[in-house]
Amino acid sequence: MPHVRSLLRVARRLTVDSAAAEDLVQETMLLAWRGFHGFRRDSNARAWLFRILLNAFYGQVRKVSRAPQPVPAVVDAKLQEAVEIEEALLALPIDQRSVLLLCIVEGFTCREAAEILNVPIGTVMSRLSRARQELRKSLAPRVKAEAKAAFQ
Amino acid sequence: MSDDELDQRVRASVLAEQIDTSRVEAAVLNRMRQRHVPGWAVAAAAVIAMVGASVLSYRTFVKEQTPPICVAAAQDHQREIVQGEPRPWLSDIFAIQSLAEKQGVPASAIAALTTTGYGLQRARLCFLKKQIFLHLVYTKDGSEYSVYLRPPSGLFNDSVRGGQALAYFETNRVTAVFVSHGADALAFARAGARVL
Repeated sequence: MPHVRSLLRVARRLTVDSAAAEDLVQETMLLAWRGFHGFRRDSNARAWLFRILLNAFYGQVRKVSRAPQPVPAVVDAKLQEAVEIEEALLALPIDQRSVLLLCIVEGFTCREAAEILNVPIGTVMSRLSRARQELRKSLAPRVKAEAKAAFQ
Repeated sequence: MSDDELDQRVRASVLAEQIDTSRVEAAVLNRMRQRHVPGWAVAAAAVIAMVGASVLSYRTFVKEQTPPICVAAAQDHQREIVQGEPRPWLSDIFAIQSLAEKQGVPASAIAALTTTGYGLQRARLCFLKKQIFLHLVYTKDGSEYSVYLRPPSGLFNDSVRGGQALAYFETNRVTAVFVSHGADALAFARAGARVL
């Protein structure tokens, strides 16, 4: 099934809950299937699916406000960075997180992300900029530690 | 840390995650296989059910209100026309009109009915609930219709009413019961009501 992996990857970081993410992707695929007649052949199917996903997600967010779940502690040093990045990602506000996931992880351009989220491109760019700043702040101790280790 | 470096770290971290999509795909396929009933179909089914219930109630109500004389007429039509039990019939129009006059039914009423497009075939006298009626048999488009006439008797004063196979009314000239099997007796009765 095309794009399910990408959708699930983003959905897990939006919902912060594996089961909720699977439900969201399931809902997205069914909505896409039922609304396939509304899909324009000349448009980007991947962007269309993400638009459905984001719309469904924001619909849910309006109904239920979920508190982010803490990421379990990991002892393995190799995974420590991944966990910290994950924590930093989940600490971002939803709007910034969704822009960051679309543009940085999924490779959509700012214009495409703007169409998916149905917001002006300027909004996408400012959200992305703020998301990067927040991430930098969150990851600063790690970067500092890495730099220190490099000089030792 | 530059934007590119930050982006690369985030991307690498997120994309490194192992994702099992099999459960989601199975669930989606399962839901797709289930027959999706659109909302309009549910609404249509509800409307049909309501109409069906109304028709049933109406029929029950009408059946309860059908006068016994009309039930007797329907049974007589069943015996004499549908089952074709042998009876002596008059088929000559003048003999029929003469018979009608003797029973107090204006001959003009019989003549009037022939103007509705229904053809008079035969007639005889019969008893419905111990009351004598002139039983006239008309045809149109291969269907047979029984019309039972007698002088005004106060049996029912309504205008045309009834179901598909039975209609009856009373004017100041005649009491009339129209019966047919599988044809529209009501249409004939309506036409008759205009001329009788």
